[in-house]
Amino acid sequence: MPDVVRESVFNLQFPFTRSLGSTLSTFFSALAQGQIIGVRTAGRVIAPPLEYDPDTAADSGTDYVKVGPKGTVSTWTWVPEPTHLHTVKHPFAFAFITLDGADTPMIHVVDAVSESAMAPGMRVEATFKPAEERVGRIDDIVAFVPASDPSPSAGAGDSYVAPAENDITMLDSFCDLTYVDNTSASTLLWMESMLKGQIIGQVCPMCNRTYVGPRNMCCVDAIPLDESMIVSVPDRGVVTNFTIITPVQYPGQTETEPFVRVSILLEGTDAVMAQQSVLEIPASEVRVGMHVEAVWAPEAERNVDDIGNRGWGSGGDCILGWRPTGQPDEPAENVVERMM
Amino acid sequence: MARTENDIAIVGFAQGDMVRRSQKTETEMMLPVVAEAIASVGLTKSDIGFTVSGSCDYLSGQAFSFVSNVDAYGAWPPINESHVEMDGAWALYEAFVRLMQGDIDTALAAGVGKNSNSDASTLYTIEMDPYYLTPLGADPWSLAALQARALLDSGKATERDFAEVVSRNRANAKSNPKAQVSGDFDIDELLAADYIRNPLRRHDLPPTTDGCAAIILARGKKAYDLCERPAWITGIDHRIEAHLPTMRADITRSVSTALAAAGAGVKNGPIDVAEIYAPFSFQELIIREALELDASTEINPSGGALATNPVMVSGLIRMGEAANQIIKNGKRRTLAHATSGPCLQQNLVAVLEGDE
Repeated sequence: MPDVVRESVFNLQFPFTRSLGSTLSTFFSALAQGQIIGVRTAGRVIAPPLEYDPDTAADSGTDYVKVGPKGTVSTWTWVPEPTHLHTVKHPFAFAFITLDGADTPMIHVVDAVSESAMAPGMRVEATFKPAEERVGRIDDIVAFVPASDPSPSAGAGDSYVAPAENDITMLDSFCDLTYVDNTSASTLLWMESMLKGQIIGQVCPMCNRTYVGPRNMCCVDAIPLDESMIVSVPDRGVVTNFTIITPVQYPGQTETEPFVRVSILLEGTDAVMAQQSVLEIPASEVRVGMHVEAVWAPEAERNVDDIGNRGWGSGGDCILGWRPTGQPDEPAENVVERMM
Repeated sequence: MARTENDIAIVGFAQGDMVRRSQKTETEMMLPVVAEAIASVGLTKSDIGFTVSGSCDYLSGQAFSFVSNVDAYGAWPPINESHVEMDGAWALYEAFVRLMQGDIDTALAAGVGKNSNSDASTLYTIEMDPYYLTPLGADPWSLAALQARALLDSGKATERDFAEVVSRNRANAKSNPKAQVSGDFDIDELLAADYIRNPLRRHDLPPTTDGCAAIILARGKKAYDLCERPAWITGIDHRIEAHLPTMRADITRSVSTALAAAGAGVKNGPIDVAEIYAPFSFQELIIREALELDASTEINPSGGALATNPVMVSGLIRMGEAANQIIKNGKRRTLAHATSGPCLQQNLVAVLEGDE
């Protein structure tokens, strides 16, 4: 039989697209062409450019200036073990680099042989991805490397005339984070009961409410509850609310047709099981007040992989869904004003 | 100075277990701490006029975790509640401002963070500038190290000074029962360790801590009803700097801390004890310079964030520790500092005073 899950790893991954606005569009469009630029505002050149001068909040304007590709390191650090989010996969430096023609530094990667090569005042120059691989992102510059010739960059400080329309106006990003959550004591109890094909609740000794899915706390009285307050509850109840969802095909959505999700108040309890699915009837026939009972997966097929902390009342892959019992409906006024 | 109905004080403080890996959810971590803070001043939950917490969904990886956390208040019938996606010190600031409206006389500010679910070396890349920094995987350890290197190169501090900060804080932490990392550390042995991010070594970084803390504030006469010696907040201010560390004129100085300190009236008298939230060892040196504290001020008797660092709670703990120096230890005037953002971007300073 499957066991409870004491620790679960999940990856939070999502793509998103940001609009760049005129200043950053100009910067990233130039970058994709292999040209780094800054903006001259209030007598200094900010590079990479910002739409505003952070000292005064004034509009930076459009007096763009060519900067780099060489620059000078001021401060630096060394990353001996890059993470999956770093763009260079071997040990490297991050540094403040003031590009020739600029008055403010930028942070970027310096690909040096070792940390002993790093020093303030070090001259570095940008290396770009091949033109066909550039997308208008800050890592179109692969890294800065020690400059073979420390002399000033040719053309740095010259005006840059922005095109009437920028090639690049959006930035595609991807969030990729990993979490390792440990299952709390109350959720472990719930997992065990689901695997056994039983629904348990917890009774608050102060208000006498029965929660479905133990929480080890009463969220009305703000007191801890314990295992002595666990009770068995029936796997039969009444639909108190429902919604019909027309699925949007976002990543991870497996439903393709409109489907129903219901809240169910089990007999003798005070907190509904939310987000439950209904079997055997079309979504259009689901009603508030309808009596339903749990349809359990065969014991050998049950698992609790999808049950996590705070998912009180989630049946995981143990409860397949709920089917109508055929009893006459409960009057709707008997099932309103129940807790989520 | 006689207190008026416009004066607001910290009257109660509770903190839960501070551990590397809690087996509890954030809500479960909050429940006993909130209850202890309220009970410590003889109140019940229905007596609290305003409740506000600081936490961050990205830490535990749970969307709307702060909504679940409301369960820890017993928020039925509905309560007057708010939340900041910041350290609990900023929740306390909101509670302070709310109390100034004058229609309520008690408030609860909490902070909670289940830090162990995520990885600090990758998580915080998403709080950086999304155009110029996040795509490079620019992480807070690297950014702090860039600031540390600049401090060394300025001649204002040495790596030995960094290690001295670590050694002193973790020695102080021996007397803090909530400390996660404490003990006697030899400075030469610390300096023999490898760099995590040159010039920072493992000990220059804060520990990863799961934890929760809560503070009760009271206004005017109510403070004396709840506490024999309230810690009056005579000044509180917070200031923020440019998000890109490269846009600050001098990254070895904390202009925002200096401005907040002036706003909070730090110089109106001597400071007996200062609790400074410096997540990285060397940042304590930058903050101390900005606060212009003299040698008579005791720094971080709790051990600070190098001993215990539940992100979203550490700043609020500084508030509670600074308050307890007045409430329990009879100190006259103390200071609490909190920080947020890369390279000490945002800083909050509060001055607390006990009656003469």
